[in-house]
Amino acid sequence: MRGAAVVLLAAAAASVAAADVGGPALDYALNCQGCHRADGAGTPGSVPALAGSVGKFLRVPGGREYLIRVPGVAQAPLDDAATAAVLNWILARFGNDDLPADFSPYTPAEIGRLRRDPLTDVERVRRDLLDAIARSK
Amino acid sequence: MTDERRWIDRFVETAARQMAQRTSRRNFLTRLGSALVGSTLPLLPVARAADDSRLPPPDDAALKGDAGDPKSCDYWRHCAIDGFLCACCGGSQSACPPGTEMSPVTWIGTCRHPGDGKDYIISYNDCCGQSLCLRCRCTRTEGEKPIYFTSKNNDLLWCFGTKSRAVNCSVAVVLGVATKS
Repeated sequence: MRGAAVVLLAAAAASVAAADVGGPALDYALNCQGCHRADGAGTPGSVPALAGSVGKFLRVPGGREYLIRVPGVAQAPLDDAATAAVLNWILARFGNDDLPADFSPYTPAEIGRLRRDPLTDVERVRRDLLDAIARSK
Repeated sequence: MTDERRWIDRFVETAARQMAQRTSRRNFLTRLGSALVGSTLPLLPVARAADDSRLPPPDDAALKGDAGDPKSCDYWRHCAIDGFLCACCGGSQSACPPGTEMSPVTWIGTCRHPGDGKDYIISYNDCCGQSLCLRCRCTRTEGEKPIYFTSKNNDLLWCFGTKSRAVNCSVAVVLGVATKS
């Protein structure tokens, strides 16, 4: 009986096909998820979290630009349209509760302009923005 | 032991004895099995290490030659692996050997399954916490990018976010199917 139950369990698992992933979700999986993880939790001490964090940057001056100028985004092997799409997907998925009321999605032209001006001192800019976010509460 | 804990013990014991008198284990297993077969949720026995997005991989049973052998560099999932195969080191193609910890930080690519022709999203996680396994060394580079694209390079050791930075071997975990839409 126990063996039959195990067979039933295995059949239940095997009957589920791997999920289809496309569009910005696929670009996230292939270009961002390896470090930021599927749930956007990041890895403390190594990789910043997106979940519960990324949307807050849009509420302080310079934050909107920062999200594009960080190396992972500015240098991503994606064209401007795909980069805009994945950024907007990330904000909807991991930052929706934190977006300002007047938020407008990133456009490909905006991505193209900002990524040509990458950050040279990411840590300092990030620290200043996090301080501004903390003060704005 | 406090009176409160004694009370909880008595309550649990009484409830368990009453359930044992009213129901049979065979009946319970039958109902559980039926519920699981009817369920669409991925339950057991699915290897899960880095996150909850993992779903059962495609069937490899019909694949010919080394494309279906997880201990071979030519195994279909290994199209961009660089390291020692965990399947040769006491683990499997998707599970770390005992005593090692799977790195949550990883690099991700796609490999085409020779059976169904679909491109699957593959996560190459390092297993960390023991010295190099030194068995089944593979170097394949489909979709790999130069070292200045660090997130897409497999020459790096990927033991980030783990207790130890020592790498033992690498797994190739199926995360999903890549589609164009």
